[in-house]
Amino acid sequence: MTNIQSSAVVAETEGPLVPPEPGAATKARPAWRSLNFGPRLWVSAGLILLITLLAFVGPLFYPYAPDQKVGSLYDSPSAEHILGTENFGYDTLAVLMSSTRNSLINGLLAGTLAVFIGVTIGILAGYVGGWLEELLMGFTNIVLAIPSIVILILISISLQSTDIPFLKGIVGLALVIGITSWPWTARAVRAQASSVGTREHIDVAKLSGARTPGILLFDVLPYLASYVVMAWVLQLASAILAESTLSMLGLGPSGTNSLGMQLHWALAFQAVATGAWWAFLPPTIVLTLISFGLLYLQSSLDEVFNPRLRRGKKKNLAAAAARRAENARKLAEQNEREEVTA
Amino acid sequence: MSESMFEKPSRRSFIKLGGVVAGSLALAACAGGGGGNATSTASGGTQPGIGNNGQVGKGRSGATADTLFIAGFQWGAPATFNPLAPTAAWPASANVMQIVYETLLRWNIATGEIMPGLASAYTLDGTKTITLTMQDGVTFSDGTPCTAKDAAATFELGKKNPGIATAAFWSAADAVEATDDKTLVVTVSAKTKNVGQVLRMLTETYVLPSAVFSAIADDKLPTEIMDKPIGTGPFTLDKADQTQVVLKLNENYWGKTVYGGLPVMKQIIHPIFKSNEDGNLKFQAGDLDIMQQFVSQIWKMWEAGKPVGTYLKDKPYYLPGSMPMLLMNTTKKGLDNPVVRKAIATAIDYAAIADTAMSGYSAAVQPSLIMPTGAESKFFNKDEAAAKGWKTDPAAAEKLLTDAGATKGSDGIYTLDGTRLGPYTLITPTGWTDWNAACEIVVKSLKAIGIDAKTNFPQQAETTQSIQGGSFDMACWYVSGVNPATPWARFKDIMSQSEMQPIGKTTFANYGRWKNDAVEAMLTEASQATDDATKKTAYDKLDALYREQVPACPLMYRPDEFYEYNANNFYNWPDEKNSYAPPMFRGAGNTWMYKIKKIAG
Repeated sequence: MTNIQSSAVVAETEGPLVPPEPGAATKARPAWRSLNFGPRLWVSAGLILLITLLAFVGPLFYPYAPDQKVGSLYDSPSAEHILGTENFGYDTLAVLMSSTRNSLINGLLAGTLAVFIGVTIGILAGYVGGWLEELLMGFTNIVLAIPSIVILILISISLQSTDIPFLKGIVGLALVIGITSWPWTARAVRAQASSVGTREHIDVAKLSGARTPGILLFDVLPYLASYVVMAWVLQLASAILAESTLSMLGLGPSGTNSLGMQLHWALAFQAVATGAWWAFLPPTIVLTLISFGLLYLQSSLDEVFNPRLRRGKKKNLAAAAARRAENARKLAEQNEREEVTA
Repeated sequence: MSESMFEKPSRRSFIKLGGVVAGSLALAACAGGGGGNATSTASGGTQPGIGNNGQVGKGRSGATADTLFIAGFQWGAPATFNPLAPTAAWPASANVMQIVYETLLRWNIATGEIMPGLASAYTLDGTKTITLTMQDGVTFSDGTPCTAKDAAATFELGKKNPGIATAAFWSAADAVEATDDKTLVVTVSAKTKNVGQVLRMLTETYVLPSAVFSAIADDKLPTEIMDKPIGTGPFTLDKADQTQVVLKLNENYWGKTVYGGLPVMKQIIHPIFKSNEDGNLKFQAGDLDIMQQFVSQIWKMWEAGKPVGTYLKDKPYYLPGSMPMLLMNTTKKGLDNPVVRKAIATAIDYAAIADTAMSGYSAAVQPSLIMPTGAESKFFNKDEAAAKGWKTDPAAAEKLLTDAGATKGSDGIYTLDGTRLGPYTLITPTGWTDWNAACEIVVKSLKAIGIDAKTNFPQQAETTQSIQGGSFDMACWYVSGVNPATPWARFKDIMSQSEMQPIGKTTFANYGRWKNDAVEAMLTEASQATDDATKKTAYDKLDALYREQVPACPLMYRPDEFYEYNANNFYNWPDEKNSYAPPMFRGAGNTWMYKIKKIAG
């Protein structure tokens, strides 16, 4: 078990972060204010936002298109082309922006797909249990046992010779990555779903006549939400890296820009040997920043959701501790009063 | 727990994956930076045949001063030095530099001349016979004489075992006879009468000692392991292992009277590199004197002050010697129409291919199957090519389509006679970097004029199978390079009807399965022509038909061999200003061995 999973489990067994408290106090201080959005979260979110802007807004203002031949093989950076040209004579920055966009879209599609499959299977197996759990987890374990890089390479090769336009591009690759990377999510979600499934509020929901899909959606899933969000962020990042690895091996979608394809062509045209750093450093840096940003976002989200990992300025911590103590005191008082009235 | 990289979205796998990507780049960067400044160069050299920047090195001292370091021919551990083996190691491998084995005649790619080799001269009797006269006193490295009988026996080996390359000789010749020790008479096939093809074989077939090869069983000829090759060449094998092949000078070389002395170097070492990159770094550092390797942007080397030179001093730096083609499968709907094929040829951005994919090493591509420069230039009809050919012009390409009645669909792709043009898949083997890039440019050019296309780069074996079997749509593939049998051989490769096989059967010519009733007679006429004027008339007719039908189109011109030298230890390398020898290793490329000069001492 990795630390994310275990910490999420810890968060979940500890119960809700803020004690449910009816009355005036909740109205005065909304629940989200209690979430501790530390500086790490803002830095990572800012980084992701910056890269997203580069990918989606940048091209609107940049004068060169990514498929416009503006120079020759590896022209050095100049005033017009601040990152020079790459091996096809296209402006490297224009290609970089288009690559980043495609890589982000790919990561988003693949990551979302992986999380969707993983959560669906995990939550069904964990909550329903019995033979369905055995079946789904058996299947998951089989998929886990197959080295996914082999499947990825094989499917990508067969995708290249397909004639279905939908599967040719970045979408096809995202599908492949998505359907090979869900098993760990499924296993972790199953563990948590089976724990949530034994709680009292589920019994209440059952007694009030809710059906299984409704319970899964409204009574189980919300309790896993923090883990699912973090898993999604990680799946997103690993999908982007998986795409880069495949494309760098030359298995990427033909005629599409992506960070991995940029590295592929840079290596193929000996950018390293000829000293054309502008051809391989920018995609590497962007790739690193995306990975770093997402990983950082995930770990800071972990801190937000998991009080044990929470850190921050001492006075904030002290204030939070005081708040918790105050809550506990009120709760105790309330109990006392109830006892008295009883 | 499994250690695979993708399955588990954890921080650990993340760092691992990131590490793989970043680590490989960092390693590559280190390797790139390391090899830079090993050579100290003396500037302002006035000697001939030095670096393109006028630089010349100071020369090596000690034992390696008399050693020539060469690379680009041998990539794995040498298995055997049996020249009949398909996996023979350099310099026993087919048609490479003649330093251990030699041929009867030598081809000069720059002039188109056929120069003396083991034979001092040859005479033609129309299309009937070729008579060769052997040089005086030719001996093998073991001291035994090499006579016309050895030469005749070498070709006879091709009859004994159809699996060796020499077997192809007998489709072009009917008989070989040594009338005496110094005279060899080759009877050209009465059926094909193709003198060019016979001459080509004479320039590419090593003469082998009959005493050695007659002792080998016929079926063992290509598989016999040899570690002590005996040839007529000026060098003998000293030692070979997985890191290098070392050759030492044969002081008793028969040719020292013919070539006015022995080769300049006492030893030749071919280090065996793992990749192009390793070799290029050693070359740049001056640890290699000459090599045959693709170097991206070689001008960076002399701009960095290295005494590196090429034959031509300006782009394209290398003499063109081969013509990678865009093959089109004429049995596929749409591509069966010559108008579409011509539109494709007109759409392609050849300048972009030459400039980027070929690193500038290609001259402007002409609408012809004849190489416009060098040996074949005498057959190239410039005016006809300009008047009836094509050049990059997307608007004209679209006009060709619309004039033929094509209509553009909502997806921007034309439909002609009810056939949507595409999607066509353009294939070439994976890892053939410059061709891969050229294919990407072709696909972009085609999409721009409304023909749907995509690239696919399978393994080489799969690509070959697809092309030879005819299941491809479009392919980037090679045809005959410049040799004594071209341009005829190239026309045959593209247009031959007699060698064409139906779809599904393996063919070695006319991969596009292009059908035409008139071309076979024209090909025969060209192959049987004896003088240049008749040949030119025949080639003009063939080329005109080619331009009308466009069964395939050249994408770029590539050098036959990448000839590049580093004047760190030797100077007086052949180049365009010092053109005593062609920029070759094979054939007439042996000439510079006797003419280069040592810098130190």
